[in-house]
Amino acid sequence: MKRTALAVATTAVALLSLNGMAYAQTKGGIIDVATIGEPPTLDPMASTADLVGIVTQHIFETLYTFDAKWGATPLLAAELPTISADGMTVTIPLRTGVKFHDGNVMTAADVVASLERWTKIATRGKQAAEVITGITATDDATVTITLSKPYAPLVALLSLNNAAAIIIPAANAAQDPLEAFIGTGPYKLQERVPDQYIQLVRFDDYQSLGGEANGYGGARNQYLDEIRFVPVPDPNTRIGAAMAGQYDYVDQLPVESFQQISDGATDPVVLAPFGWPVFMMNTQEGLNSDIRVRKAIQAALAPEDMMLAAFGSEDFFSIDAAWYPEGFSWHSEVGTEAYKPTGDMETAKALLAEAGYDGKPLRILTSRQYEFHYKMALVAQAYLEAVGFKVQMDVVEWATLTTNRADPALWDIYITHSPFLPEPSLMGIMSDTSPGWWATDAKHAAVEAFNAESDPAKRAELFVDVQKVIYDEVPGYKVGNFNALAAQSPELQGVTPAPWPYFWNAYLSSQ
Amino acid sequence: MVRSALNRILGMLIVMALVVTIVFVIVRVTPGDPAAVMLGPDATAADIESLRERLGLNASIPQQFVTYVGGILRGDFGQSIFLNMPVTEALMQRAEPTFFLTIFSLLIATVIALPVGVLSAYWRGSIFDQAATTLAMFAASIPSFWLGLILMQFFAVKLGWFDTSGYGGPGASFAERMHHLVLPAVTLGLISSALITRFTRASMLDVLNDDYVRTARSKGMSEWRVVVKHALKNALIPILTVVGLTAALLISGAIVTETVFGLPGVGSLIVSAVLRRDYPLIQGALLVVAGLYVLVNFVIDMLYLIVDPRVRY
Repeated sequence: MKRTALAVATTAVALLSLNGMAYAQTKGGIIDVATIGEPPTLDPMASTADLVGIVTQHIFETLYTFDAKWGATPLLAAELPTISADGMTVTIPLRTGVKFHDGNVMTAADVVASLERWTKIATRGKQAAEVITGITATDDATVTITLSKPYAPLVALLSLNNAAAIIIPAANAAQDPLEAFIGTGPYKLQERVPDQYIQLVRFDDYQSLGGEANGYGGARNQYLDEIRFVPVPDPNTRIGAAMAGQYDYVDQLPVESFQQISDGATDPVVLAPFGWPVFMMNTQEGLNSDIRVRKAIQAALAPEDMMLAAFGSEDFFSIDAAWYPEGFSWHSEVGTEAYKPTGDMETAKALLAEAGYDGKPLRILTSRQYEFHYKMALVAQAYLEAVGFKVQMDVVEWATLTTNRADPALWDIYITHSPFLPEPSLMGIMSDTSPGWWATDAKHAAVEAFNAESDPAKRAELFVDVQKVIYDEVPGYKVGNFNALAAQSPELQGVTPAPWPYFWNAYLSSQ
Repeated sequence: MVRSALNRILGMLIVMALVVTIVFVIVRVTPGDPAAVMLGPDATAADIESLRERLGLNASIPQQFVTYVGGILRGDFGQSIFLNMPVTEALMQRAEPTFFLTIFSLLIATVIALPVGVLSAYWRGSIFDQAATTLAMFAASIPSFWLGLILMQFFAVKLGWFDTSGYGGPGASFAERMHHLVLPAVTLGLISSALITRFTRASMLDVLNDDYVRTARSKGMSEWRVVVKHALKNALIPILTVVGLTAALLISGAIVTETVFGLPGVGSLIVSAVLRRDYPLIQGALLVVAGLYVLVNFVIDMLYLIVDPRVRY
């Protein structure tokens, strides 16, 4: 692997992003962004798909968003919320004079109607709705949310860009599906031709926050005239397009194409780390309802080989037991002793014998939609068989996997992955109803304490307890950290590598 | 003649009814759920269930089938779940690239295949014939996605003559859109030319040995006139049949090519509809493709009836 090239590419892009202000930025220009496909909807409340968030975050805005350190920061709210001493009342002051794309000014009534829609439609809104008892407009520029119990993840849920708490005109809040795509974002929807392009144009009445850009927060400058998202579903075609320089930004390239991209007309962009693959365990039914079997699996798996098979080079992954990597406030190695980079076969065999394993096949549900899932599964199969498991690989197409994983009778392990979500409560494993159905007293004690605490430093400490319970009860097995690869034109400046790439603040040096 | 035509129309209707039923059943028994795909990876089971209810997917399969067939009889093919538009409108939007891709591919295939097939037959056993036959076999065996990627690497990435993918951005002119079709059309045209070449060669061989060709030669007619005016003219009937069938094949064969080149045609629409489990769209698109096959076959049958009355029964 060309480590130097990789280091130079990563550093150069990072420096360009950080020092973007050093270049002369002028308005103008159109960029084409190649995406992995057509988003299933343009209603960001209606889907948790990343692609929906990537496109729609330019059109719609939320009350809060995430800064460069993944802390919540105001966007349509004037400042961070005031939380009452008992943690049950959340008061949100709103910015005034913010206009929607239809020219109307955002009011507290719009915010209330939007949040009510969010609690009825959005997966994450419904999660919050379990503790929300009321959403009211205290005055024209203040909204108050009352809770049945303290709920620290609320601000993070209000900040996320998928299943997002977007603010739309009250008049449109009853639409389901959404038909009028009117937001307050820096770009507005001009035209959508499905499978051909989504054309966004600058919203001239946009009111950016002042100051500097800060992650998804801070100033949002509209240098570009237009942003066009073009679906290019075939990964090989995306590689070719990146090499040819046809698009200004090409998202989600296979990491093994790094050298090809380096030799082409666009520059590689490496986001390290991007996310984590995970083997989710079915704790409700079948073999993995026995904690001893899950612990045997945890001991048997060798993440080093699995990640190597999946990503080819150590330049694109790291072996890391902590559920959050360094750089996140949630990072801690405490409680992760059971994670063995090369596996621990003896312990696994002993645990399996203790569980009285009877040779029933361990069913691994996976797909080839994400080739690295399949490659990891193959290595896992070899290690699991080496300690005595009989393994049945159920390789299906992704849409089938999403259906089958909802049925506890059909699988023992399913493989998925996620970017590092800024708030741990957003991880599927934290919910009792997410496939895997992990719901124990120890989990509830740890998660509830974590969710009830609003002080960030104390929450970081409490997450360590959650991580410990995860390793103790093995509802899932985090394999490691992996990087993501994209490509961008040398002329495109001001783009900060991010899990959900955004193009406000981006500009073309040729303009 | 009229009775034969009516019989064939009846046959067409039966085939289409079977297609409607089979496609509906296959789509419904295939695992995968449009609601789960739309809501994304973190959706809860309750969310998926409630969206299924809204989409009418919780009704029994026979009930859904009756609704669907009722809609077709009224000319309503349903509403695409993901595109939030009528299926017919979605198909109309995608018709242009597929239509022109088919026409261009067919032109390329025919322009290559006719002279090569005729000359192969004329110089039967020669090096030219052997080379053409080998190349035709090779072309017929090439997977279209592979050829597409190779052409893309050379003409789009290396030479920069074409775009790798897409169909032009907002306001793209007709010429710009057609420019995007060149590489996919060459991909499909080269592959399709193999079949037409082989048919042309075989058909020409049949007629070149016929008495009337010998007679024409004995009358001192030039070889050019013998081959083109006499032999090729008569060999054209089976060749045209193959060209017609190839046109129908191209429409469905465009599925892979359109996906590789990111062309928003009917082929790539079918792929994305299947991946998303957009039931009404899959059904509508497959019905159109099947309908085209049936129609092409009908037209060929009718041509036979006109050309060769012995076929009438």
